[in-house]
Parts: sequence; C-alpha cells; structure tokens
Amino acid sequence: MSKSIDLEQEGIEVKKSCCYFCHQNCGVLAYVKDGRVLAIEGDPTFPTNEGGLCCRGNIALQHLDHPARINYPLKRVGKRGEGKWEQISWDQALGEIAARLTAIRDQHGAEAVATAGGTSRTDDWARRRFMNIFGSPNCFHNSHLCWIPTFMVETAIYGWCPFDLDLGTSRCLVLWGQNPGASSMPEMHHIRELQAKGLKIIVIDPRFTETAAKADLWLPLRPGSDLALALAWVNVIIHEGLFDPDFVNEYCEGFGELADHVEQFTPEWAAPLTWLTPEQIRESAYLYATTKPGNIQWGVAIDQVGKSAGAAMHARAILRALTGNLDCPGADLLTGPSQDSVTDEEMEANDMLPAAQKAKQIGADKFKLVTWPGYGKIAELSKKHWGKAPTAEWMCEAHPPSVFNAILTGQPYPVKALLVAATNPVNSYGQSKTILEALRAVDFMVTCEYWMTPTAALSDYVLPIAGALERPTITNSYGCADYLLASQRAIQPMYERRNDYNFWRDLGVRMGQEEHWPWQTVEEAYHYRLEPLGYGAESYDEFVELYRFHFPEREYYKYKRIGFGTPSGKIELYSTTLKELGYPPLPEYVGPTENELDDPDLAAKFPFVLTTGNGFMPFHHSEHFQIKELRFLRHEPRVEINPATAAELCIEEGDWVWIETARGRIKQKAALTNGVHPHVIVTERGWWFPERSMAEPELGGCLESNTNVLTSVADEHCDPLSGTWANRGLLCRVYKVDGDAKGGK
Amino acid sequence: MKNKHEGWGWMLAVDFFFAGMGGAMLVIAGAADLFVGEGRTSALASFLGAAFMGLGSGLLIFELGRPFQSWRVFMNPKAILTAGAWTMSLAIGAGFVYTTFSFALFPWSGWVLVRKLTAAFLIVAGLVVAAYPGILLGRLKGRPLWSGSGMTSLFLTSSLVTAFAAHYLCGLLYPPAAIGDVLAKFPAVTAVLLAVQLVLWVSYLWVKHSSTAAETIAVKRWISGEYAAAFKYGFILAGTLLPLALALADAPLFQAAGAALTLGGGLVMRLLVIYGGNADRTWLPGEVQYRSRLPHGDEAFLKAWNK
Amino acid sequence: MARYAIVFDTRRCIGCHSCTVACRVNNELPLDMIYNPVTTVGPAGVYPNLSMVHVPLICMHCDNPPCVDACPTGASQRRDDGIVFVEDRKCVGCLACVMACPYGARVKNHATGAVQKCDFCKDRVDAGKLPYCVLTCHQKARVFGDLDEPASEVCKLVNGQRAVRLLAELGTEPYAFYIYG
Ligand SMILES: Nc1nc2c(c(=O)[nH]1)N[C@H]1C(S)=C(S)[C@@H](COP(=O)(O)OP(=O)(O)OC[C@H]3O[C@@H](n4cnc5c(=O)[nH]c(N)nc54)[C@H](O)[C@@H]3O)O[C@H]1N2
Ligand SMILES: Nc1nc2c(c(=O)[nH]1)N[C@H]1C(S)=C(S)[C@@H](COP(=O)(O)OP(=O)(O)OC[C@H]3O[C@@H](n4cnc5c(=O)[nH]c(N)nc54)[C@H](O)[C@@H]3O)O[C@H]1N2
Ligand code: SF4
Ligand code: SF4
Ligand code: SF4
Ligand code: SF4
Ligand code: SF4
Ligand SMILES: [Mo]
Repeated sequence: MSKSIDLEQEGIEVKKSCCYFCHQNCGVLAYVKDGRVLAIEGDPTFPTNEGGLCCRGNIALQHLDHPARINYPLKRVGKRGEGKWEQISWDQALGEIAARLTAIRDQHGAEAVATAGGTSRTDDWARRRFMNIFGSPNCFHNSHLCWIPTFMVETAIYGWCPFDLDLGTSRCLVLWGQNPGASSMPEMHHIRELQAKGLKIIVIDPRFTETAAKADLWLPLRPGSDLALALAWVNVIIHEGLFDPDFVNEYCEGFGELADHVEQFTPEWAAPLTWLTPEQIRESAYLYATTKPGNIQWGVAIDQVGKSAGAAMHARAILRALTGNLDCPGADLLTGPSQDSVTDEEMEANDMLPAAQKAKQIGADKFKLVTWPGYGKIAELSKKHWGKAPTAEWMCEAHPPSVFNAILTGQPYPVKALLVAATNPVNSYGQSKTILEALRAVDFMVTCEYWMTPTAALSDYVLPIAGALERPTITNSYGCADYLLASQRAIQPMYERRNDYNFWRDLGVRMGQEEHWPWQTVEEAYHYRLEPLGYGAESYDEFVELYRFHFPEREYYKYKRIGFGTPSGKIELYSTTLKELGYPPLPEYVGPTENELDDPDLAAKFPFVLTTGNGFMPFHHSEHFQIKELRFLRHEPRVEINPATAAELCIEEGDWVWIETARGRIKQKAALTNGVHPHVIVTERGWWFPERSMAEPELGGCLESNTNVLTSVADEHCDPLSGTWANRGLLCRVYKVDGDAKGGK
Repeated sequence: MKNKHEGWGWMLAVDFFFAGMGGAMLVIAGAADLFVGEGRTSALASFLGAAFMGLGSGLLIFELGRPFQSWRVFMNPKAILTAGAWTMSLAIGAGFVYTTFSFALFPWSGWVLVRKLTAAFLIVAGLVVAAYPGILLGRLKGRPLWSGSGMTSLFLTSSLVTAFAAHYLCGLLYPPAAIGDVLAKFPAVTAVLLAVQLVLWVSYLWVKHSSTAAETIAVKRWISGEYAAAFKYGFILAGTLLPLALALADAPLFQAAGAALTLGGGLVMRLLVIYGGNADRTWLPGEVQYRSRLPHGDEAFLKAWNK
Repeated sequence: MARYAIVFDTRRCIGCHSCTVACRVNNELPLDMIYNPVTTVGPAGVYPNLSMVHVPLICMHCDNPPCVDACPTGASQRRDDGIVFVEDRKCVGCLACVMACPYGARVKNHATGAVQKCDFCKDRVDAGKLPYCVLTCHQKARVFGDLDEPASEVCKLVNGQRAVRLLAELGTEPYAFYIYG
C-alpha cells in the first residue's frame, strides 16, 4: 500500500479479496473508498500467504489501471491483425457475436465453434455451461500441459487424484519436476518450515533450482527421462522389498504382473537413460520408500515431456500405492470431490450436450483419456463411488493441436470460430508458428482479455475483462478440492470491463439460454454453490466476511470404508480402465520425445537436450511483461547454458543466441550458469514484447523469443493417453546471433 | 538510468583541479610574502588563486542535484565537505583581500601587519584546500581506489605542482612588482615536484595493486584497463615527463609550455581519479552480476505506456 | 529506546525479488531506484556439485554510519533507535553520502535531485507495523525487530546463530545481519 495514502481516513472499507496472478490466490486486503481501491496488502490471516505477496501480488494496482489495459469492447475495423479498432458497446458486441455464432452453427454445426483457455484463472465452468448448451464439445485449454493428464491417470488408477498433501506429519517429500521456490512461493515457505523440523526433501529436476539448492537430495536427471527413473524406482521398491506388503496385498490389484513387468527396469538399466548413477537411483528410491509417511507432490514437468508422459505418470502413481503412501496421515490424500458444496462439474450442465455431439470432440479418437471416451468412463466410476465427477472443463477437452489443425485443414471437419478467454495461445501452446497460422486463418475469433496480446491482436472482437480485485473468487483446485477458500470483489469492474462469467452468461442469454442462467451475478452463482455448506450466510459476501474458508473434517483411510473408485474397487496397478481404453495397463518404457539413443541422426544435427520453460520470477507465463516494475527486474529473455558449453560455442554472458529445433529457431540472451548440465539448454517461456507494435507483421515480436516455436505437437510426439505435447526433453542446437539480427523466422 | 552506481561527474573533477590549484597558489603567494618578501609573486596569481577556487565552487554547485540549496552544505560541522566549504569560502575571501594589497589604490594596501596575517592565513587555508580532495576521497572506505591516506599526499603534491606552474605563467603575463628572483626558480621547483609526484603515484598504485582484491581490480583499470591510455599517455607522458623535461630546459618559452602541460596533467589526473574511483565499489556478493543484468536505460519498454 | 535491526536468513531466501517490488511500489520509487536488491551467488561449483545462495541487500542502518558523517547538510541522520534516514528537504544531492556508503545503499532520485535510501519504513515502524519488504516476504527470510527486546526473534537470531555482517572489517557496525547455511 502506498506510503502516501492515509489508511486511517474516513470512509475506507477493507475488502477480503485475493490475488489471481497465479493459482496460489494469496489473500489480499483491499482498502476501498468510493469504489476505488486505494491500497492493497497481503492478508495476514489468510492461511497460505500469511500476509506475504510475491512480486506480482504487489503490483495489483499497477495492473488494475495500467494504460495498456483494454477497457472497452473493441471491434476490428481494418484487416485482421492490422491494429485498427472501433470502440463499441457490449450490447452491440454480444449481439453481433451471437448472430455470427448462430450462423456458423446453422451452416457447419455447433462443433465448428471451439473455445480456447489457458490455466485456471477464472470461472471456466461457465464457459463449459455455455458450450454444452450451445452444443459444441470443442472446449479446450492448454491444461494438457498442466496437471490434467496427471489427474486423469491417477484417477484411473486410484479413483481420485491425491493432490491434497497431508504435509504436516509427513517425513519425506518428493518434488518431482516441481520448483515451488519460483512457482508457488507460499507453498515453499510451508515446505521449508517442515524441513526445518525434519522433513526430507528430494528434488527431481535437471536444473539446480531455487528449491534444489535447499533439498536434502537432488536428482539431476536428463530432461524427459522421468519415466525411466520412475520405472527404476518401482523396480528397486519391489525387488529390494521396500514396498508395504499388507497394503499391497489388501488394496492393490496387479502386483504380480507389475513385479514381472518391471524386472527389466533396474537402476543399472536406467542410469544411462537418466544420466544418474545406479547408486543415486537406489538411494533416492530407498529414501522415499523407507521414510514414511511420504509424499510425491505434483510438478508440471512430467505433464510436458510429450510421448512418455502418460506412462511416466502411471509409473509415478504406482509408487504411492506400493509404499502405502495414500490417504493415511502424512501421505497424499484421496479426498474426493466436495461433498458439501455444489461443484464446478455440477454447474457445467454436461448432460445438456447430446451424446452425438460428445462423439464429435476433436482428438477423442486419438487421445482417449482426457476426452469424452476416457472422461465419460471415469466420471461414471467417480459418480458411482463419490456421487460426483471431476470437472469436465479441464478433464474432458478437445485436443488443442488437433483443433488448430482442423482450422487450417478442415480435418476432421472445419472449425470456423474460436472464442479465446484467459489464454494467449501464440505464446503458451505448442508449436507457435502453426498456431499463429491458425489464428490468422480462422473465420471468426473473439478474445476476452486484459491486454492486447498477440492473440487478441488477431481477433475480430476483443472484450475487456475484469480482474481479481473486480470480481469474487472461489479457490478450490480446478473445482476438484473438497475444501474451498472464498474471496470477495473489492470493487465493481472499472470502465466497461465485465467478468468472464458475465461474458458467457450474457452471450448465452442472447442465444436463448436464459432459463439456464438463473444467476445474474457471480456472487449469486457462488451463493447458490455454497448454500449447501450450511453456514447460513445470507449472501456470498457475508460468507466471505464471516467465514472465508471451508475445510471439511479430514477422514483418513476412507478406502477402508468405501474402497477405491475403480472398477475393482481397489488400486489398479494394472489398470483395467486404461486397458479398456486401448492403452497398456502397465507403464511401458518409451524414450524421451527426442533423444540421442533412438535418433542419433537427429542428435548429430541437434546435439543438446532442450527443456523449455519453467516458472521464473517475476512473470506468469506470457503475462506481466507490460508491468515496468516487474520487467525492470528481468527485461530480456534468457537461455541458460553451462559455461563450459558456452566456451566451446564461443558464447559469452549476455550474447544473443539462436536456439533451434526441427520446428524453428528463437533468440534469447545467454545466461551462463553452472546450474545446468553441459548438454542441457533451458529456455524461458512466455516471452513477447508488448512495447512493440501490436499489428501485423510485428505482433509484439511474438515469435522472436517465444520458446514454443521450438516445441512439438506432432501426434507421434504427443502422449497417446492424454495427447499432451512435448515441451521438455527435446533436441536442439545453439549458436550465436550474428550482429544483432531481429526476428526469429 | 544507471545500472552501475551513481557517481560524481567531470564537474567535480574540474572543481578539484581548480580549487586545489587555487588553494596552493595562495599558499605559494603567502609563503613568498612571509618568508621572502612583498611583491615576489604575481598579483594575478593570487587573484586567480582565489578566482579558481571560486570557479571550482561554482562547478561544485552545478554538480549538486539541487544547486539552489547549496547553502546547506555549510551545516554539518562534522562533515569534511562542510569543513571544505568553509575553508574554501574563507580562503577565497582572503585571497581576494590579499590581492588588493598589491594595488595602491586600496587605502589599506600599506597595512603590513594585516597583509602578513592574511598571508599566514592563506598558507594554512590554502594548504587545507589543496589537500582536501585527497582527505575527502581517502575517507571513502568502500571505494578501493581512493580509500586510505595516500590520496592526500597525491592531491597535495598535484595541487602544489600545478600551482607553481600557474604562478610561473601568471608571472609571465603579469610580472610581479618586485624582481623575478623567486619566480625564476619555479620551473625547477615544478620539475622536482613532478618527479616526486611520479614516484608517489607509482608507489601508490604499487601498494594498492598488492592489497585487497577490490583494490587490485581498481588499479588494473589504470594499468591495463579502460583508463590505461589516459593514465600512461595523458598523465605520465604528456602531463609529467614531458613538462619535467621542458621545465629543465633553460628557455622561458619551453618552460611556459612545460607549465601549461603540467596544468593539463593535473586536470587529467583529477578526471582519472574521479572516474576511476566511481567505477568500483567494494562490491557485495553477487552485486556485479545483478547490476549488469538490469536495463541500461534505452530499452523500449521503459518508454512505453507513459500516461 | 528501541534498537532496530534486520536479519536476513539466506537459508530461507529464494531470490524471488518480491521484497524489491514491494518496497518500490509502496514507497513510490521511480523505476531505476532500488533500495533492496537481492543478488544471487552461484550456482557455484561444478555440475552437479553445486551451492547457491541469495543475498538480500539493504541499507545496513550502520551504528557508525559513514554516510551521516559525510553529509554536509545534516540531511542524513541517525535516529536514536538506529534508523538512518535522509531528510529530503535538507538534501542538496551532493552524493557525498553515496560515495561514503560502502554498501551501495543510497540512490539518487533523478526527478528531485536528492538522494534517497531505505529508512526501514520508519513511519510504518513508528505506527507499529512491519516494513513493506518484511511483510511481503512469503518465506519469512527477512526478520525485523528490536534488539533491545530480549524476547524478539531478531534478538534470538543475532545472538544465537552464526549471524554475520557484510564488510564488517570496515567498522561501520551494520545492523543488518546475515545467516548463512
Ligand atoms: N514451452 C512451454 N510452454 C508452456 C509451459 C512450459 O512450461 N513450457 N507451461 C504451460 C503451463 S503449465 C500453462 S498453465 C500454460 C499457461 O498458458 P496460459 O494460461 O495461456 O497463459 P498465458 O499465456 O499467460 O495467457 C493467459 C492470458 O489470460 C489473460 N488473463 C488472465 N486472467 C484472466 C481472466 O481472469 N480472464 C480473462 N479473460 N483473461 C485473463 C492474461 O492477460 C493472459 O494474456 O502454458 C503452458 N505452456
Ligand atoms: N513465477 C511463476 N510461477 C508460476 C507460474 C509462472 O508462469 N511463473 N505458472 C504457474 C503454473 S500454471 C504452474 S502449472 C506452476 C508450475 O510449477 P512447477 O510445477 O514448479 O513447474 P515448472 O516451474 O514449470 O517446472 C518445474 C521444474 O521442472 C524442471 N524440469 C524441466 N524439464 C524437466 C524434466 O524433463 N523432468 C523433470 N523432472 N523436471 C524438469 C524445471 O527445471 C523446473 O524447475 O507454476 C505456477 N506458478
Ligand atoms: S504467489 Fe504471487 S502471484 Fe501467486 S497469488 Fe500469491 S501473490 Fe499472487
Ligand atoms: S521476498 Fe524474501 S525470499 Fe523473496 S527475495 Fe526477498 S528476502 Fe528473499
Ligand atoms: S546527497 Fe544529500 S544526504 Fe547525501 S550527503 Fe549530500 S546532502 Fe547529505
Ligand atoms: S549502509 Fe550505507 S546508507 Fe546505510 S547506514 Fe550504512 S553507510 Fe549509511
Ligand atoms: S524497510 Fe522499507 S524502505 Fe527499507 S527496503 Fe524494506 S520496504 Fe524498502
Ligand atoms: Mo500450469
């Protein structure tokens, strides 16, 4: 809060809001007067952040009224991407969009309309509700890269995803491809507190991260080799007798098949694949298996390794089961969906989408787990077991690269309209050049945004969206947690901004969906959702002011009472669900998406292993490059190179270098660090340059340093289960930029 | 936008040059008067001595972030800058007063005792002013090039050597009232002082170079780094050795040229000392990399979105 | 009378720069002014045998502050509770203090011509609140408090652990302490 603002002055109200510049949703106190936020500060009573706010949290007011924010509905008047806009009313915008969507549905079918989303940032159940009623199955996010495949693989095996960690009494925590030291700071604090009391931390990460620097054990593996490591851990735990025999006998199916299957995957086998020593692998497997209770926390890395992702998730999931580290005190908990409130899924109106439309979902024929075939099956099991299903808007999605392909090729059928909300696909989805082509080619595009992103710049309409201080927020892990944290809006949206909820609802109402949208405001919808909790709050705001959280009583060992939500009612190490979907019931070894062993020719041309992206401060994906207070701290993209490698390549600190894969090349500035293996290159993600022209052809330099130019979405590089594509563990080469060439063509 | 660190600029260096030279010019004028006799040095020299200090102070004021508040520098008796400001002001006044004694039109020009007292004061105040930049810099503990007592003797020597040269030149332009016996010796004195200065500098850099790591780095800038050319050719060759040789030549024209070069050398030294010293602080862990990665100030994003 | 001090627990610091941003935004500093950078030392060693530490910097609120001694105007002052600050009105921007401070803690405000520095958020501290940078640190790596208060966390940390000062050899007696691994 600003030094020059007197917070004791009369008429100030303190609102319990939150930050939504990442999923942590740190509690924020907003000092409001006359409908304006005068100051914010971290809420000291909020359980996660305890008054803390990271870089981004601190710039909430700069973000709220930044000169580059979009504050009015804009309609394209020039050619697409020309940067010419007309300010129009919401009424006109919604009217014209509704008419256009109706026409497309009439001509090409509802499935010709798709929506793109990013990571959970807003009320996405409303989007799904709109689309279900509208009749299209083609909703998608890039959540394929982010937890969702893990969620679905684990749910297939245990009947729910054990993402809620009971860390308080844990003794060993595995951070597998996760770096809370840069990506979830409030969590990092709690982990470190526990570590001081004896919690052992194992970090599995090719980079020497903020977190690895503080770990008890760091496993610096080859990027993309997680599957080999996980299989070797399974091997050690089974063949060296470290598993929990009682738990396995009583609650797991398929142990015998698994034991046979992994016999070949010894640490000696894995060593050359992972670049670790057999001793490192054994030691770490022992540490996890014998320091109980223990946890394996989800990290995003495995979701992004491409073709081995699903098997790696499966193998990792087996570890918890073998050691019995599930649903007991100190372990990873199978909480199931919220029994007490109305879940996201229950708000989505999934029943309204006809089976015939579900069948048309793009990519469902190739990647069955995170699409209607797999989701449908798992949701059914889940409903039977828990009475409720996981959120469909995330767990059941069209395959994004296939949708972009459909736009470009008309295969399997034409996609004519794309509604983009809370994402910037050009910078965050895979293979950016193709995406850019698709966005240029699509007939009709609407983007709901804060900023004129490269994606928004190519749209026909850009709609101004309200941010975290201007709307209420329920925090509950993609609608799948049994607890929730509630925050209220500090002020009504500024200028003509609206909530995402209101975009979907208002559009729906205009398209004849009125009867299905009984809640005019987000607060009304939230109140409806929280009423069953029984606090008796008169309104959502009252709930926030009086209670703010709901944490149901914890029940350990639920499986003893109700079993597991799988077909057999047990943990399926040998997964019948995966088998029925046509996938291997046990995790089979596949090499990293691109690697030197399977493809020496490629490796001769692209000798380094590339991993693209990982959270770094102060940015969030492709966001916040406009905020000077943040940009000042990190104003240019950096690629991490080992100094020995750099010396060989005649690259010095601060040189612009090209990083090139089979898909293309980008440039970033060399940051020499001992923290990466001499054969590994690490690029930063998200980069574009909002200070440049946002019209074609410049488009904010959105390809120049954008690491997703390098990634691969080819079907054969995607995980066959989920379709997640390959960002980590690719092959690349690196060389100095001559002079100061511009453009990453 | 500076990503390194704020530092003093050329105006301060020029101030140090003029003020030090001016102070030492008054010392010489006062000493000649006290120990040899009236009118031995040029009145122009004592006038310019005071004027140079005034000029230096003026530059110092412009160097300030808030020039119009400059009177405030007299406020902290414990600060060296305050002491310097007071001494300099008094020395300037005394210098001008002293100059008036050379001109009969001032009624007090015959008050010998007052003149002698003024001369005595000039010696003291002038010496302080001549040495003061060195004292100021020497106290800056976090500045490896400067810290320590060495700077004081370097500045004192340089002030004196430039002052002798300036006196000599002034004498040529506006000869002193009395015979030129004193003035004629100045080139020789200059030569000796130049030699002393050379020895002092070489020893200074030698000692610093073998001290802490930070000091070594600072000295390297002079020996082999970005300041090496200015140091070697500007200061040592053109500002010290050449004038030394010229001063020993027995012709006023050469000696005058030598004196002018001596002044140039003094100026170069001040600039080198200020810029060289600005360049380094005793960097804290990780600080150099941190600052090197900050924006330079010309980045496009800095100029965008100004309301 | 209090004696304020800050302890940086580098074992907790993750180099997230949140403190830098909190200070800048809340103290309304121009972009190029940073009171409290956080540097990174390392990763040092040869992959994979490495170590890394982040070092939050700040005005050390020296007990023997050369900046105060150097200030000709009296703008730089040290309060009895140890807080060293600049009284903006009196500062002429001579940079004597900038040159005198061995810690690079002072920055010139190019808009006003004056020199500014961390003042431990003295107005907040006087009102019983924590400095912005301390409150904002998720990791609680910055511990602020009163050394005259034997029960305070700073007191315990400074006395009980391997708390060290930066450039202690200069005799400036910093009241910012560092705890390393
Ligand atoms: N190569 C590579 N690619 C990656 C990753 C990687 O590690 N490497 N990480 C992946 C991961 S984990 C994720 S989650 C994705 C993230 O991908 P995205 O979620 O697409 O992230 P952004 O690119 O930041 O785009 C988010 C956009 O939404 C806007 N926005 C923010 N909040 C709201 C809101 O409430 N409403 C609306 N309408 N708009 C909003 C922002 O202004 C921003 O432009 O990227 C993935 N892409
Ligand atoms: N600062 C910041 N914080 C964020 C975000 C952000 O953009 N910026 N995004 C948010 C979002 S949406 C998400 S999903 C989370 C993600 O947060 P995390 O789960 O921590 O994910 P990342 O930081 O992307 O990657 C974790 C680590 O994976 C390592 N890694 C790279 N390749 C491999 C590999 O092949 N195998 C293994 N085992 N590790 C590998 C990277 O070095 C990195 O340190 O962060 C959230 N928080
Ligand atoms: S960690 Fe930072 S960005 Fe994420 S919610 Fe908290 S303050 Fe906001
Ligand atoms: S906010 Fe805390 S953890 Fe982050 S850099 Fe500052 S001191 Fe370190
Ligand atoms: S810049 Fe200001 S605070 Fe610093 S010494 Fe000069 S007058 Fe004092
Ligand atoms: S750190 Fe620098 S500014 Fe702060 S008190 Fe010490 S000398 Fe003065
Ligand atoms: S104590 Fe206050 S002024 Fe000093 S660095 Fe922290 S926030 Fe900035
Ligand atoms: Mo994510």
